[in-house]
Amino acid sequence: MKLTIDGQSVTAKKGQTVLECAKENDISIPNLCTHSSLSPFGACRLCVVEIEGMRGYPTSCTTPAAEAMVVRTDTEALLNLRRNIMALMMLEHPSACLVCGRREQCEQFRPAAEKAGSTTGCHTCNSKEVCELRILSEDMGITELPVPPMYHERPVERSEPFMDRDLNLCILCGRCVRICKYHQGKAVIDFVGRGSQTCIGQAFGHSLLEAGCQFCGSCVDVCPAGSLADRYAKWHGKPDSVTESTCIFCDQACALALGAGNEKLVTAQTVNESIPVCVLGRFAIPEFLNGGDRLATPHVRVSEVLRQVEWEEALEKAAAELSEFAGDSFALICDTTSTIEDRHIFKKFTSEVMKSKNYVEIEPDARGVSRCSLPKSTKAALLTGNYVDSAELKQLEFLIVQDCYPTPASERADVVFPAAIFAEVDGTILDRSGQKRPLRKACEPPGHAKPEWWIISRVAESMGAKGFDYESADAIAHEAGILDAKLWVDRTDAPPAATNLKLRRTYFRGHQIDEKVRGLRELPVDDSCALEVTTEKTEGAFQILEKNEIAPNVHEIVISALEVAKKALPGQFIIVMVDEKSERVPYSLSGWDAEKGTITMVVLEKGQSSRKLILLDVNDKLAHVVGPLGVPLEIENYGTVVLAAGCYGIAAIAPIAGAMKEAGNRVVVISEARSHYLHYYQDKLQSVCDQFVQTTIDGSMGTRGHAIDALTQKLDAGEKIDRIIAIGCPFMMMMTAEETKPYGVKTLAALNPIMVDGTGMCGACRVTVGDQMKFACVDGPFFDAHQVDWDELRDRRSAYSAEEIHSIGRTESVASSNSGHKCKCKH
Amino acid sequence: RSLIEGDPHAVLEGMLIAAFTLGASQGYVYCRAEYPLAIHRLEVAISQMRELGLLGEDIQGSDFSFDLTIKKGAGAFVCGEETALIASIEGRRGMPQPRPPFPAVSGLLGKPTVIQNVESLGNLPSILRNGAEWYGQYGTESSKGTKTFALAGKIERTGLVEVPLGVTLRTIIDEIGGGVPDGKALKAVQTGGPSGGCIPAEKMDLPVDYEALTQAGCIMGSGGMVVLDEDSCMVDIARYFLSFTQAESCGKCAPCRVGTRAMLGILERITAGEGEMADLDKLEQIAQTVKDGSLCGLGQTAPNPVLTTLRYFRAEYEEHIEKAQCSAFVCGRMISYHIDRDRCSGCGACARVCPVEAISGEKKKPHVIDREICIQCGACLGACPSRFAAVFRRSGELTRYEQRKISKKDKK
Repeated sequence: MKLTIDGQSVTAKKGQTVLECAKENDISIPNLCTHSSLSPFGACRLCVVEIEGMRGYPTSCTTPAAEAMVVRTDTEALLNLRRNIMALMMLEHPSACLVCGRREQCEQFRPAAEKAGSTTGCHTCNSKEVCELRILSEDMGITELPVPPMYHERPVERSEPFMDRDLNLCILCGRCVRICKYHQGKAVIDFVGRGSQTCIGQAFGHSLLEAGCQFCGSCVDVCPAGSLADRYAKWHGKPDSVTESTCIFCDQACALALGAGNEKLVTAQTVNESIPVCVLGRFAIPEFLNGGDRLATPHVRVSEVLRQVEWEEALEKAAAELSEFAGDSFALICDTTSTIEDRHIFKKFTSEVMKSKNYVEIEPDARGVSRCSLPKSTKAALLTGNYVDSAELKQLEFLIVQDCYPTPASERADVVFPAAIFAEVDGTILDRSGQKRPLRKACEPPGHAKPEWWIISRVAESMGAKGFDYESADAIAHEAGILDAKLWVDRTDAPPAATNLKLRRTYFRGHQIDEKVRGLRELPVDDSCALEVTTEKTEGAFQILEKNEIAPNVHEIVISALEVAKKALPGQFIIVMVDEKSERVPYSLSGWDAEKGTITMVVLEKGQSSRKLILLDVNDKLAHVVGPLGVPLEIENYGTVVLAAGCYGIAAIAPIAGAMKEAGNRVVVISEARSHYLHYYQDKLQSVCDQFVQTTIDGSMGTRGHAIDALTQKLDAGEKIDRIIAIGCPFMMMMTAEETKPYGVKTLAALNPIMVDGTGMCGACRVTVGDQMKFACVDGPFFDAHQVDWDELRDRRSAYSAEEIHSIGRTESVASSNSGHKCKCKH
Repeated sequence: RSLIEGDPHAVLEGMLIAAFTLGASQGYVYCRAEYPLAIHRLEVAISQMRELGLLGEDIQGSDFSFDLTIKKGAGAFVCGEETALIASIEGRRGMPQPRPPFPAVSGLLGKPTVIQNVESLGNLPSILRNGAEWYGQYGTESSKGTKTFALAGKIERTGLVEVPLGVTLRTIIDEIGGGVPDGKALKAVQTGGPSGGCIPAEKMDLPVDYEALTQAGCIMGSGGMVVLDEDSCMVDIARYFLSFTQAESCGKCAPCRVGTRAMLGILERITAGEGEMADLDKLEQIAQTVKDGSLCGLGQTAPNPVLTTLRYFRAEYEEHIEKAQCSAFVCGRMISYHIDRDRCSGCGACARVCPVEAISGEKKKPHVIDREICIQCGACLGACPSRFAAVFRRSGELTRYEQRKISKKDKK
């Protein structure tokens, strides 16, 4: 049928909607709730159009194209209506950063991946590059909101395996609800409540697990607003590259889109949005591959102890020893999770180099278990996994283990080779029906780990064998005649484990997958509890007396710390260890009471350690509190002092303002926040200063802009300012430093690098000020802001980003950390 | 509801006629569970029809089969919208769906469905019995027949009235309803339920028909008619109705869900004395967005109370914003309570009833209200004996002493 869209004559197929037809003809109409694999919904109202003969503004996503229809998509009225609807939607989504004039600068300065408890703006949101809301708001040029944002202040839901849900970001497009019905055939999640309280949830307040969620992750994949997130992937930001490969966690061999960032695997998703993969394929792979205890260097046993060595030494040692065991006294045992190319080399090595018949290839059972006994004559063996009982291994004279994780076998081995596996290698595998499926390298293996064919070929060459000089897995594929592997992209059914959690495999090469992937331990398993999960109770002298979330993601904690309270002075900080094994984190003191022996700190949930801290309850104890640390701020009568504060700095500035006022200064406090609901401590600050200025980036309270805007306004107006002190995130302090420089007013900033001991010994907090190297812990925290090397500070602060992110995945989820043991066994 | 409770047979007969005409085999009466009497009477009427062989297979040997089911709803306002009603009958969440497809093409369980109001169906039997001309003699050229209104609010005789369409508001209010009681002045009439609009007293000669009401920014809607007198604050009225639609929005589409909440926020600020003049333009802009952008009738009509009060009573909004004055003395945050020193005899009646102990004063001496403590509950105003009438209120530039009703007992 023929119709006219924006004066252009176009053809539509029967059953096509106006939106689909427009899209096919490159006429773009904004939309949020539509999705290619879902039926039209008509909720976001952004795709409204004008159709001659139809009343009002019908949605193009729900209106079927019809013969001779005349559609307009870009009239002034439509553009206005869309902009206004979009602006309304942004009121319920933390959108201050979307209307911030310094966003680009901020994003350049901030690390690519940021962590936070609840996301209160794009600055800590890792969906920014893929956020459809953000893209549309930019396209529409929305720079202002009609009324102050209406943040819902809902707690972030993160007690479920693998997924976090932050309903404060949700725009209720309903994609997750619909994709869940579509994939699982039932509504695990749905709209709950009505009116402005409507949100996504499970019936009767059940958890996702109780509601029957299979963790296919489809809901996460379709969420346009960052409300649903893959807990592990979300801190990594947008992957730099996506590679299509095949899953080897079972012989279904589903095709996967593997996303890597910084050469590490970050996400795994189905390649076909209308067919989900199972929980292992969707959520377990990055965490499994990035495990902190992956074998990453070759090891050789030297006088009873396994020592890290270079490849050369390990290969020579293996070659020298193996030459003693030619014939059937050697056995090589692998399973079919190694690629066909690898196994081709294993077989060739065993028969041609070792002249042995004992090449054993195990087919894992339904649960992924690969077990076997050594052939009788075996005296030396090479294992690619944990397949053989320790008792049997004890009988061996020489053992090589080539694997991805340490096991009882590798601990007993004489030589250990770290193997690259799965998404780290190229190759071919067979699926259950015997079809060849390709593995394509998507990320780098950890440390010095190498592909298995490479390792064995090098051993063979070290033993003087010829014909092992392959350049790539591809060369082996040519030799073995295993070409034309094709990705299984045209699946018509989801794998069985996608609809029944119990059908997923639990082992990979003898490794229990859920030992490496935390979230799996909360899913139902066939047998009784295999792992005992317990939480250690923190014990220490520093009891939490009060704890309140005073603004979204901002927690005020009062601790009993007699000695610290006695000696604390304005500008000083403490270092806190939540438990005996936790990181040491510095926090500014925002108050203290020498008489009561209490100190107050304000903590932003920003990563694993702060999360551990805010998960504690009143009366729980911290392992250590060291302080007061740092050089107290010099307090004198300077004249007029401006204190600029943002984020946690708002609390840190309070004692300083009080002291400055007492010293006779005229104190001006400028408190900045992205939006009105993020301001806190305002009454307290107001009572200790002569002038109090509030700024918000979205203009919803006080002056619109950053603290620096209010400050430069004063400077430009010729107001006499004698000293400026800035406390906030590095970006805020850097900006204050840069923009106050031309005015020549002495400006101090409280630097916040990573610290360990806090007494000037370790050097972790090294900063460069002017041409001098300083330690922020003993020389600081206050430094001349105009002299600080801000880029260095930024780089040093993000030095351990990858490790931090991995550790979040290993932290107990909230439910289990609160209740301790959480599985179906009777412990 | 009154029709179901009073004459369920008329409605059911209407359904039977409609079903016979269209060849439908199944009918549903969707009635909220909070109306047990209506449901009971429907059940009785349906079982009587079954006994008489007027429902079921092969009715009266006519080869026509039809049966009826009562579906009890949970009382969501949005389920009055036809697609949401269908979803609710199907056991799904009561959320509207965009049309097309219209229910007449694909409705309940995907089958062609006709959805009609109880009142329309109840009119069917008499129209068929007496003919279209008979029905057409009532009403106007384009709005024919009669309509039942629920007359409520500040009016002498409240209750249900059935009038021919086209009569003026004045006729309904003054002649049928007996006018506004206590000698107060009529201010406005709110028609059409929570998403209707307010028509000012100047327009009392407006004929009540579909076109005239729509032109005035109102709707016929459910036939609600609330009479407002000089003691009603139009800003507060808008806030009140919006708080209802805001809570009853199904939450599906953004303009309705967020827009009603945003408008309510502005209205709450204005009635609390924190409004700005720029808020009025914002209100109008959001209202227009909600009206144009919403998916279903609930959202499209929800801004009506705001738009009509802004249209006819803009001065009242401006007075709230610019003078922090509520001339109807409704918006508590703009009202302060005072005691007239010259009138107060120091009886202490006010101090005894004050729940927050804001009133102090020695016996027989004028008392004072501490406005820092006062919560504007109005207890003192009621307690001050009418012979003194010393407690008075201020709002902006206005001062108001209590106008006490003199009851019949007092007259004697």
